[in-house]
Amino acid sequence: MPALRGFLWLIGFLLLGEVLITLTGLPVSAGVVGMLLLTVWLILHGGGFDDIAAAARPLIAVLALLIMPGVVGIFFMLDELAGQLTAILAALLLGTLLSVFTTLWLLRRLVGDEGQRDA
Amino acid sequence: MPELLDHLMASPLAAVALTLAAYFAGERLFRAARAPAWCPPILVAALLLAGVLALLAIDYADYRRGAGWLMLLLGPATVALGLPLYQQMGHVRALWRPLLACLPVAAGMAALYAVGIAWLLGAPPETLASLAPKSVTAPIAIAITERLGGSVPLMMGGLLVTGVAAIGAVGLMARWLDIRDERLLGLALGINGHALGTVRAFEIGPTAGAFASLGMSLTGILTALLLPLAWRLPGLVG
Repeated sequence: MPALRGFLWLIGFLLLGEVLITLTGLPVSAGVVGMLLLTVWLILHGGGFDDIAAAARPLIAVLALLIMPGVVGIFFMLDELAGQLTAILAALLLGTLLSVFTTLWLLRRLVGDEGQRDA
Repeated sequence: MPELLDHLMASPLAAVALTLAAYFAGERLFRAARAPAWCPPILVAALLLAGVLALLAIDYADYRRGAGWLMLLLGPATVALGLPLYQQMGHVRALWRPLLACLPVAAGMAALYAVGIAWLLGAPPETLASLAPKSVTAPIAIAITERLGGSVPLMMGGLLVTGVAAIGAVGLMARWLDIRDERLLGLALGINGHALGTVRAFEIGPTAGAFASLGMSLTGILTALLLPLAWRLPGLVG
């Protein structure tokens, strides 16, 4: 039952994240805090995370399934958004084009351009 | 017939079954259409599911209540992302200096451009809050939007459009700026195009893929930590 043991670990980190944000009042989600805690724990612990991997890999593989109920909702609110569709699409398309340009330009300046050259 | 449907929808099982069926049907259609990059399988599946819900006259709110059982797994799945992040630590150590300088700006701009443009065009606060996490991977973006008071379905729609647009934009800009370094292309795809961009990066090559997952995770974390704080600052949104 490695996957179930790993699942318990994941829920444990999630609940720990929930406790932390409740106590500190930070406006961050419990899942993100749990993810960071898991990363730190793995760094400190080194190897020996087979149980966690057995639960984490299949969960990550079905992420698209888990977000589907949220995606479907967009088709049921198109009427509501009718007046804003231009603003939304302009923001998404133009915004993405601009941010991709900024990212690539910045990265080229800071990281360098040659794939061969070791950083 | 409507009574039978109501009876079935009273338990979450029907909603879960519908979601699973649409998911597998969507994947199959996607493969049959030779995996087009502009139309990710989740979009196909969501369209199918929306069609079935409309056809059977199932209320979205009813469906959503049942499917909430599936979405409950998003929490543990978000925590699970810590594992690939840990496996990326070698890249982080090698490049921490430029990453530290570049990521906050890049992740910030990804949100700021979109929010700025939508604000200029007169979009209301709820829409702004839904567009802000547009470049963040879905499980984290859902958590951010809920914190900011946006609409999750609108955010998910924006996420899909952004992912597809980022793939196109990186292709275009890479040619224009003459960038061929897989690390840069991967990072740009992951930072701007979340999971969809990362899938595309793995098609370019394993190095691009690894750097895309790194860019995606770090953007997600950074945005999740900073955006809710930044949102409180300007008094921009009530």
